[in-house]
Amino acid sequence: MKRTGVFVCHCGINIAGTVDVKRVAKELSKHSGVVHSEDYVYMCSDPGQNLIIDAIKEKKLDNVVIACCSPTLHETTFRNTSESAGLNKFQCEIANIREQCSWVHKDMDKATEKAIKITKSAVEKVRRNESLEPISIPVTRRALVIGGGIAGIQSALDLANTGFEVILVEREPSIGGHMIQLSETFPTLDCSQCILTPKMVEVSKHPNIKLMTYSEVQEISGYVGNFIVKILKKPTYVDADKCTLCDECTKVCPVVVSNEFDLGLTGRRAIYIPFPQAIPATYTLDISACPGLLPIACGKCADVCEPGAIDFDMKPKIVEEEVGAIIVASGFDLYEKELMGEYGYGKYPDVLDGLQFERLLSASGPTMGKVLRPSDRKEPKEVVFIQCVGSRDPELHCPYCSKICCMYTAKHAMLYKHHVHDGQAYIFYIDIRSGGKGYEEFVQRAVEEDGVLYLRGKVSKIFEEKGKIKVWGVDTLAGKDIEIDADMVVLAMAMRPSKEAEELAKKLKIALDKDGFLAEAHPKLRPVESVSSGMFLAGAAQAPKDIPEAVAQASGAASKAVAILSQERLSHAPTVAKVNVNLCSGCGMCVLVCPYDALSLKDGKVEVNEVLCEGCGSCSATCLRAAIQVKNLTPLQVNEMIKVSLGG
Amino acid sequence: MVNLDNLKKEANRILKEEKVKYIIGYKKSSNGLFTVPAFIKNPEEVEKLTWDPTCVYNLTRFLVDEKRKKAKEKEPDERPVGLIVKGCDSRALVVLLQEKFINRDDVYILGVSCEETGVLDEKKLAKTLKGKKVKNIEFGKNDNFVVTTKDGKTEIPAKEILAERCLECNANFPVISDILFGEKVKRKSDNPFESLEKFESLSKEERWTFWKEQLDKCIRCYACRSVCPMCYCDECVADTINFAVIAETTAEEKAQKIKWVEKSPVTSENFVYHLVRAIHLAGRCIDCGECERACPLDIPLRLLNKKLEKEAKELFGYEAGFDADVPSLVSSFKDEDPEDFIR
Repeated sequence: MKRTGVFVCHCGINIAGTVDVKRVAKELSKHSGVVHSEDYVYMCSDPGQNLIIDAIKEKKLDNVVIACCSPTLHETTFRNTSESAGLNKFQCEIANIREQCSWVHKDMDKATEKAIKITKSAVEKVRRNESLEPISIPVTRRALVIGGGIAGIQSALDLANTGFEVILVEREPSIGGHMIQLSETFPTLDCSQCILTPKMVEVSKHPNIKLMTYSEVQEISGYVGNFIVKILKKPTYVDADKCTLCDECTKVCPVVVSNEFDLGLTGRRAIYIPFPQAIPATYTLDISACPGLLPIACGKCADVCEPGAIDFDMKPKIVEEEVGAIIVASGFDLYEKELMGEYGYGKYPDVLDGLQFERLLSASGPTMGKVLRPSDRKEPKEVVFIQCVGSRDPELHCPYCSKICCMYTAKHAMLYKHHVHDGQAYIFYIDIRSGGKGYEEFVQRAVEEDGVLYLRGKVSKIFEEKGKIKVWGVDTLAGKDIEIDADMVVLAMAMRPSKEAEELAKKLKIALDKDGFLAEAHPKLRPVESVSSGMFLAGAAQAPKDIPEAVAQASGAASKAVAILSQERLSHAPTVAKVNVNLCSGCGMCVLVCPYDALSLKDGKVEVNEVLCEGCGSCSATCLRAAIQVKNLTPLQVNEMIKVSLGG
Repeated sequence: MVNLDNLKKEANRILKEEKVKYIIGYKKSSNGLFTVPAFIKNPEEVEKLTWDPTCVYNLTRFLVDEKRKKAKEKEPDERPVGLIVKGCDSRALVVLLQEKFINRDDVYILGVSCEETGVLDEKKLAKTLKGKKVKNIEFGKNDNFVVTTKDGKTEIPAKEILAERCLECNANFPVISDILFGEKVKRKSDNPFESLEKFESLSKEERWTFWKEQLDKCIRCYACRSVCPMCYCDECVADTINFAVIAETTAEEKAQKIKWVEKSPVTSENFVYHLVRAIHLAGRCIDCGECERACPLDIPLRLLNKKLEKEAKELFGYEAGFDADVPSLVSSFKDEDPEDFIR
């Protein structure tokens, strides 16, 4: 019989307040095979760990059970403790008597009975545990960053500056993301382009960064340390090396379409450069707008291009890259304005969203930084800003707070006043959320120095009347209805994950949260990791956040990626699935359920790729024949655990 | 109507041309009205083949035995087996194909359509005729059977003597075949879950009393398992007496063997056995009703399987045995799968 040691933790009164830990230790000492059983106030403390080490050595223990908190917290601690005393790590098991017992019960007697059963079942499990060694896997020491907004740029630069090669993939023709569209940034009001373009230039010049714009991730296979990524490089039909940026092509292009960079406030040609500081600095021929690639259809741009940079024969290309870690910074989109019919967006040209207003304020925008109404290019004297449009509305729209709108609306109102001194800015708000360094002071400045009028309440309807935009709202503090004849209305639309996020998450096999943002592994302790190992999250793809937060998370994700890339080899948990080939009928059901593609059929039997297997046990639960099971969680172990829990 | 002569002609052809190693079909019994399985190896024996409403067996089950036998042979005959299948039997075949238990090349399928009728329930028939001996029985018209007894011919409505599963059948023609006899016409189907819904309308207490009474009868003869084409596992998790120990079985594997269910036929063990079996048939049972027919104690086993069939259909839009190329119920996941049972 194997010699088992049991260690019961009080966790102060976290456990001992509801569970009679002395009785648990005493009862366990009577359990067959248990040769040592004791309790201690904090097992995870140094003296607590020393108790375990001493007992293993003195009593020649074969395995140990620590009855304490959840294994997600201290399993590693106690396994390392056991290893330092000479045991295999897998000869240590955790009996969770806190989260699954003391914290959820009140009756001391019953909770103690339950704690005894939980601990006994862990004893039955551990004595049937195999001693296992971690699986060692190699690492490809390069990283992939998906998304070239501020978060992706920051992650890529941090990784590249650490010395690792980075592939930065951006869907649009230029990097820069939404930040490059902004005018000035709160709370310091520095020009967004002025602080972002140096980073963009650094990306383009960095020897360790391979920039792939106008490209999309198509397929990802492999596992942490060893991903294989297929990237689709869409044809731009312009050879960037030959292009001299003379701009002759746009002058002859006969097509005008809505300019997405200015959110439809201006037009652009079918061949275009998104904005003057675009990286890479070159033109893109938008094939969906171009009348046709055949010279017979048009071909005017190619005719005037002196260096011969326009290549109509350019084809989509699929590039395969091997990387060890992936950072996803796929960013955000604004909530579809079409869904806010009551605010008249789309119907009235002078009802704008926040990003459009940014373009109006921007020195390089369609009005060269003058605030003018899109309808008649006149200066608006009364502007109404509405916060929480689509946010914090669980019944109809997004239940969450988009976090940045309070601040940017204050900024909008403030900048508007800087442009139009005799104008009046009104802000409808639910409440002001200005947590952040210098944020509250910024809002106060808007009110005190710029005379912005904050009205606490919601707007019910917006409609046009006699050349004015009528805004019907309510001021809940004054308790009266408000009616404003505005010249312009700016809607602070909710932030939502970019449209591609869902598809991307499927390709990467990472989870989405209930709102469609990429889900982090733990909301507090693992905020930049995804649930899939080796994949990290940065920026607004994970949750609404402002620039400083996005940058901080991007650096955090980069440092997490470095933790993988800096290693020679990675180790993988050996608690993986194992097939009993005698019982396997080759039906392949487990192959279909495996979320990690770790299983395959070979000669009518299932095979496990141990490196891919995460030991989730879906296969084991699916198999009708119990022919596949996870190591150290075999049916026999489960059976014995159930038996002892039932008292038999 | 299925033309028996054409069926025999095809059987004769494939045996003569040595396309199949043998044919599994039905023949008249030397004792009693109901046909028995026939294994026809020579063209001369083809005359024995028959097709009538007493062909109740699901012959697909024999493919399980055939596969085991073949695995033991040193130089196995690689030719397919000719198999006569009804609608339900063909769906069983589809599940076996879906689970890669057999290959499509292993079987030459002679499909026979029940058309608008089905097969008889021996017990119902005896009851209706009050024990009178039947000389002959044929498919008739207007949903009737023509029964010949010593008193002459009478017509009996199908409803009175047809097996329950046939009354609730939703595809009484082969869904897969190499050659089809009869036509792909459907019985004007009754509600496939009629008997189940009647049972579901009972109170919890009534249902418990019912099942306790029924399952307490079980003597654990395992006839239900032996006759089931889906019960092909070498080792049954619900059984403790037939561990599949072979030469390659390691000591470690032997040590891992567990008795999930005790041998004794008592309430708890009987419940575990039957419920495990039912769960293991979820999304796989095609309602051939053989378990219920084979049960010597008349336990209404179909009712358990029907419940799972209904759940699969209503929750996941899944019906077993129609397409061998789709992922099976328990191994497929769709984003739109309902999750409201998670609380």
